[in-house]
Amino acid sequence: MLDLVVIGAGLSGLMAAYTAAQSGLTVRVINKGLGSMHWGAGTVDVLGYAPDAPEKPVQHPFTALANLVVQYPDHPYGLLSSDEIRAGLASFVALTEEIGLPYRGSAESDQNLFLPSPAGAARPVYLAPEAQSAGDLSRSEPMLIVGFKGMRDFFPDLIVQNLAKQGHQARSAFLPLSLVTDRIDANTVHLAEALDDLERRTRLGHELKKLVKIGERIGLPAILGMNDHSVVIADLERLSGVPVFEIPTLPPSVPGIRLYKALRSRLLELGVRIEAGMEVVSAEMTARHNGTPGSIQSVISATSARPYKHRAHNYLLATGGILGGGFNSDHTGHVWETIFDLPLTVPQDRSMWFASGFLSPTGHPIFHGGVVVNDVFQPVDGGKLIFSNLWVAGNILANADPILERSLEGSAIVTGIAAGKAIANL
Amino acid sequence: MHTESWQSVGPSLDECIKCNICTSYCPVASVTDLFPGPKYAGPQSQRFRENGQPHSPDHSVDYCSGCRVCNEVCPTGVKIAEINARARAHMAAEEGIPLRNRLLGRNELLGKVGSIAPPLANFGLHNQLSRVLADKVFGIAQDSKLPRWPKGGTFGKWVKKTQDQRLKSDKKVVYYHGCGTMYYEPFIGQATVAVLEHNGYEVIVPPQNCCGLPLLSNGEFDEAEKYHDNNVNKLVGYARDGFDIIGTTPSCTLTLKEEAPELLDKHDADSTDLKMAVWDIFEWIRERWEEGDFRTDFRPINMILPYHAPCQYRAHRVGKPALEILQLIPELDVRESCARCCGSAGTYGYKKEKHLIAMAVGKELFDFVAVQGPGVTMTASDTETCRWQIELGTGLPSRHPIEIVAAAYGLYNLESRQLTN
Ligand code: SF4
Ligand code: SF4
Repeated sequence: MLDLVVIGAGLSGLMAAYTAAQSGLTVRVINKGLGSMHWGAGTVDVLGYAPDAPEKPVQHPFTALANLVVQYPDHPYGLLSSDEIRAGLASFVALTEEIGLPYRGSAESDQNLFLPSPAGAARPVYLAPEAQSAGDLSRSEPMLIVGFKGMRDFFPDLIVQNLAKQGHQARSAFLPLSLVTDRIDANTVHLAEALDDLERRTRLGHELKKLVKIGERIGLPAILGMNDHSVVIADLERLSGVPVFEIPTLPPSVPGIRLYKALRSRLLELGVRIEAGMEVVSAEMTARHNGTPGSIQSVISATSARPYKHRAHNYLLATGGILGGGFNSDHTGHVWETIFDLPLTVPQDRSMWFASGFLSPTGHPIFHGGVVVNDVFQPVDGGKLIFSNLWVAGNILANADPILERSLEGSAIVTGIAAGKAIANL
Repeated sequence: MHTESWQSVGPSLDECIKCNICTSYCPVASVTDLFPGPKYAGPQSQRFRENGQPHSPDHSVDYCSGCRVCNEVCPTGVKIAEINARARAHMAAEEGIPLRNRLLGRNELLGKVGSIAPPLANFGLHNQLSRVLADKVFGIAQDSKLPRWPKGGTFGKWVKKTQDQRLKSDKKVVYYHGCGTMYYEPFIGQATVAVLEHNGYEVIVPPQNCCGLPLLSNGEFDEAEKYHDNNVNKLVGYARDGFDIIGTTPSCTLTLKEEAPELLDKHDADSTDLKMAVWDIFEWIRERWEEGDFRTDFRPINMILPYHAPCQYRAHRVGKPALEILQLIPELDVRESCARCCGSAGTYGYKKEKHLIAMAVGKELFDFVAVQGPGVTMTASDTETCRWQIELGTGLPSRHPIEIVAAAYGLYNLESRQLTN
C-alpha cells in the first residue's frame, strides 16, 4: 500500500508530494484535470497586497506578513513561523535550480519584484522564473516591448502606454509572426515549441538586434521556448546584445506549463506518478466517534466501469477550493467540499457570497472561506481532529483570499511543504 | 442516428471555461494547421451542431484522432473527445462513408478472409503493387504498418487444438480476445492463457465477435450496434453468473465498457451488466495482486523496457496498471513513456491524408525510445495498433505486457513469441 495519495496536481499538491517522496515515502498524485499553474503567470506571489491596505502594493512581504498574522492569526501563514515560510520558499528555489528552471527574487533581499503584467501594470511578485526577473520595474534600463503582428493575446502598445503612465521608459515594436511560425493559427504553447528550433530563434535574435538601442532591455511575450527555454533566452541575449525578459500572456501560460512539466519529471525520478483524468467521486471512511477521530480507507475515482479505489495510509487534499474545483455549490447557495464533505467556513447563503462591487477592495467572502486545519494541517471541526489520516494544503484552506492578497503560489508552496513534512514525520 | 440522449456528454460542454489547456496539449493540433484543436472543434463548434442545424460548422473535427489527451487535461471535465466522436458520426451519416473507412471499420471480416489462406492473403496485402493501389484507390497510407496473418492459424484454432491440455479449475475467468488476437496475434492469447493458468484460473473462451470500435470511430453506428448487441447476447450470461470477463486489448474492453453504451445510447440492463463485468487484463491483475492473489514468482528479465500506455487507458481512467505489474519483475528496468500518443489512434494512422500527421504525433514517443540508449531491444504497449505504429517509428519489436509477464514466469519466449512448453 502507498504511504500517501495526494489529490490535486497544483503547486501545493506537487510540493507536498515532493517533500514526502524526498523523505522516502511512496506517493501518488491523482487529479481530475490540469489547472492553476496553466492559468497563472508562473511566478510566485507571497504577499502582494495586505488586507488592510488593498490599494498599496507590498514592498517588503515578510514585514507585511508579520503584521498580517498578528491581525489575522487564523490566516494559513499564521500556522507557520516566518522561518518556516522562508525555509519553504528557499527549498522551492533550490528545487527550481535542480530542475533547470531557476527562480529568482529581487536583488534587494526580502523585497518584492515589480514585474509588468500582460496589461502593463506593475505586479508585486516575490519569486519569478529567471526569464521574467529581468523585467523588474525597479531596474532603470528603458524597455523595448516587442510583439508579433498577428499574435493573439499580447499587446505591446497597451503595455507601453500603461508603463509610461507609471513613469517607466518604454517603447513598442513589432515583428512578423512568420519569424516564429509558419502556422496560420497557433497558441502560446505552439509558438513556444516553435522557438525551440535553433534556426527560428537565431532569425529572431538577428531581428531583435536590428530593433534594439544600446542600453535598452527587450520584453517579449512568454513564448521563448518550451523544452529548451534556457538555451533560447541565452541565444536571444547573445544575438541581440541586451538583456531579454518575458512578459506573461493570457492563458495558457507557457511559464506555468514549463514549471508543471519540470516538476512532473522530477517527481517521476522520485517514483511519484501523476495520474491525470481521475475524478474522485467518493471515499470509504469512518466518521469521528466517541472522541476518536475517523479515518479514510480509500478514495474512489470514476472509471469506464467500476469505481477505482486508491488505497494509502495517508491522504492529502489539495483540490484548490472554489477556483480549483474542490468545492461545489447548488442554487440555494449551499457550498460543500466535494470529496470528504469537510466543514467549510464559506457562507451557506448565496446573498452572502459576494461583497458589493466586482472589484471590491475587501474581496468576496466566498473566496475567503475554506477548510479549517490545526497546526499540522489536519482538518478540524471545533478544534477536534476529523480524520486521523487526512491533511489539507493550498488554496482550499480557510481564512485567506489568495487572489486579493496575491499570495496564491507562496501559500500553496509553504503549506504544501509543511503538510508533506508533517506526514513524513509521523 | 444515436445522438439524441447522449447522457453525460452534452451537458459537459457548458463546463468549458475557454482556458485553452486542451488545445495546448492536443497532439494533433501541435503538429498541423488542419486541426484547430479541441476547444474549437469540440465545445465551441458543438454549439452550432444542435438538432435541426443543416450541417457541422467545422469539418476539421475529422482530424481529431480520439486520443483523449484533451479530456484528461481539461480542468472542468468537458468530454471533448466524445463530443468530437459524435460530430464525426453526424458528418459520416450526412456525407456518406468512404469505402476506405468501411474497409478499415471491418477488420474482423478482413481477418476472417485472410485467415483462410494466410500466405496468399499476406502476399495479396503486403506486396508493393497492392500497397500502391490501396494508397491510390482507397487512401490507405502506403507506409502504414498493416498486420500479417500468422501461419499457425487463428487463436480459436489453437484453443480447440489444445483443449485437453487446458487447466480445469473452480476459479474461472472469461477471455474476450478481440479480433487482433484472434486473427493476427494468436500468441497474445496464448501468453494470456498461460499467465492465467499459472495463477490457477481456468480460461473460458466463449464465442464472441468484434467489439465494433473501428465502426464506431468511422461513424458507422448502425453497424456497430449490431456487433454490440451480438456481444451482449453472447456474453451477458457469463456476467450474470458472476464471471469476470477480461480482455487484452484496451480499446476492445473500453468499447464494451463505455464506448458502445455511450455512443449508442445502450443503457439497458444487459449492456450495463456486461459493462460491469468487463476488465482490462492488467486492471484485473492489479486488483488480484492488491488482494495478494497474484503470483510473483518471476524470473529476472535483465533489460531496459520502454513502456507506452495506449491512449485508451486514458478513457479507462484506471491509471497504468500494466506498468505497475511490470515493475514487479526483478531486474526489468521499465521506462515509462510520457508521450501523449503514438499517433496511430486506432485506424487514424492508416488513412492516407492522416498518415504523416500520425507519424509527426508519434515522434515524441519515438524520440523517447531513442534516448533510452542503444541497449534497448524492444518496447511494450498494450494495444496492437500502438505496437505496430511504435515498431514502424522505432524499428524495434514491440510486445504486449502480458507477453513480458508470461516470459517472466518462464512460460514464453519473447523472441519467437511462442509458449515454451
Ligand atoms: S480544457 Fe476544458 S475548459 Fe479549457 S478550453 Fe478546453 S474544453 Fe474548455
Ligand atoms: S481527442 Fe486527441 S486529437 Fe482529438 S481533440 Fe482531443 S487531444 Fe486532440
